[in-house]
Amino acid sequence: MRRRRGILASLLVVEVMVVATIVFILWALRSPPAVQAFLVRLVMVSLLIFLAILFIRYFALLWFAYLGHAERNVFGEAKAGELPPISIIVPAYNEATVIEGALASLAGLDYPELEVVVVDDGSLDETLSVAAQWEGRHGSADFRIVTKGNGGKAAALNTGIAASKHPFIFCMDADSRLEPQTLRKAMQQFHDPSVGAVAGNVKVQNRGRVITNLQALEYIEGLNLPRRAQGFIAAVNIVPGPVGLFRREALEEVGGYDTDTFAEDADLTLKMVAAGWKVVYEDTAIAWTEAPENWLDLVQQRYRWTRGILQSLKKRKGLFIRPFPDFPLWLSAMEMGFEAVIWPILNVYAHLFFALVALLFGAGELLLYWWVLLTLLDLVAAFLTVSMEEESLSLVPFALIYRFFFILFLDVVKTFAALEELFNLGMGWEKVRRVATTQVTH
Amino acid sequence: MNVVDLLITIVVVTILVTIVLAVITYIAYKLRLARQPPEDPELEGDLRYFVRFLPPEVGQGQDAHATEA
Repeated sequence: MRRRRGILASLLVVEVMVVATIVFILWALRSPPAVQAFLVRLVMVSLLIFLAILFIRYFALLWFAYLGHAERNVFGEAKAGELPPISIIVPAYNEATVIEGALASLAGLDYPELEVVVVDDGSLDETLSVAAQWEGRHGSADFRIVTKGNGGKAAALNTGIAASKHPFIFCMDADSRLEPQTLRKAMQQFHDPSVGAVAGNVKVQNRGRVITNLQALEYIEGLNLPRRAQGFIAAVNIVPGPVGLFRREALEEVGGYDTDTFAEDADLTLKMVAAGWKVVYEDTAIAWTEAPENWLDLVQQRYRWTRGILQSLKKRKGLFIRPFPDFPLWLSAMEMGFEAVIWPILNVYAHLFFALVALLFGAGELLLYWWVLLTLLDLVAAFLTVSMEEESLSLVPFALIYRFFFILFLDVVKTFAALEELFNLGMGWEKVRRVATTQVTH
Repeated sequence: MNVVDLLITIVVVTILVTIVLAVITYIAYKLRLARQPPEDPELEGDLRYFVRFLPPEVGQGQDAHATEA
């Protein structure tokens, strides 16, 4: 009942916005020519302001990302004797189709001493029996399987952390696959004793379809680019679930993962920044993940991400009006809120408003120039970011439909998710269906 | 219709269709969610491979023993 009321309330707010826009446009159409000319000018100015914000955001991200890229590997690669042992935590709930690939990638890691703790979170499928076959020594890693009643990902991660012993903890998803060098690359960032966590580089594994290729481009341009820019100032605001290396001391200081949000990774990162730890990005620490292969699953994933991030921010409401004394935390939270909620809502509204104005006032040419400029910008950004990551240039042409289709589509979903969170609508952890795109042999 | 008008039409239609598609997909996602059977609180936390052990309640039958002084 509460859920239905929330959906109705969300739809009502959207309807009010649309109706208000239409009423405004109808009123404008009946206005005298002088007023109409003024309104068209107003729309032009709005377009330019929107474009300016977008340009500034893009260029700031590209510039800081470039600086971050230029100074990477400043410490050089650590030698085997300097590599402290790492505990790897793999939380798994109904991951029978994909967990074997994840565990096989762990057995192939190039790292001297590892402990792998697989936490079965009360799975209802064969996850536990598949994982149990891996118990024991594989390569340089000791595999242990722990099982518990279903309690959510954050609780499973905390169980794994409590059951592990090494001074560094690597958290990943059960559908992730690591490159052999991932841990070595991430560990080199801990030369700085004030670094509490290293965010790695997540890439889409199951490419080939338009929807997964668009996500592959989005991970590079939309997610890794901001992370690379944030890494330059050591204030990454989300250590992603599939690839995050933590100093145990930092994790224990902040009390591990909280179980009251659906974005436990964002929440933990904010806690670490608040505790004064640096959170950095290492683009060569790569994890491959399985992206949703249909639109409904994609909506489900982004809906959860947006609401989870908002839940993390809501826990720190007071922060927004107090930038000092904790400026890095304030900056991280503001950036997170802007990227997750404010920008998507602004983007949807601007597109809708400009499209309607173009239709009704005959200002289509303005809209076209705006589209050409943005698409050119996206193409350049895609080319730069794809090149920085030494990825396949075949992803660049997808930038042509990236903003005006894919990002707009996702931003509509984020807008609804933000409205539902605003109305405190209940939600559950609905799992994205796994497809298992690679075969594993061991 | 010249090329510019054609491009304008494509851009406007793309924007509007994308927004409509996104709203429809969001509603479809919500309907899929609503059709899922509600979670049974009795089953919450159940494990497939283990049987949960529930100790007998004190005071029920002869299994409950009083501590001898």
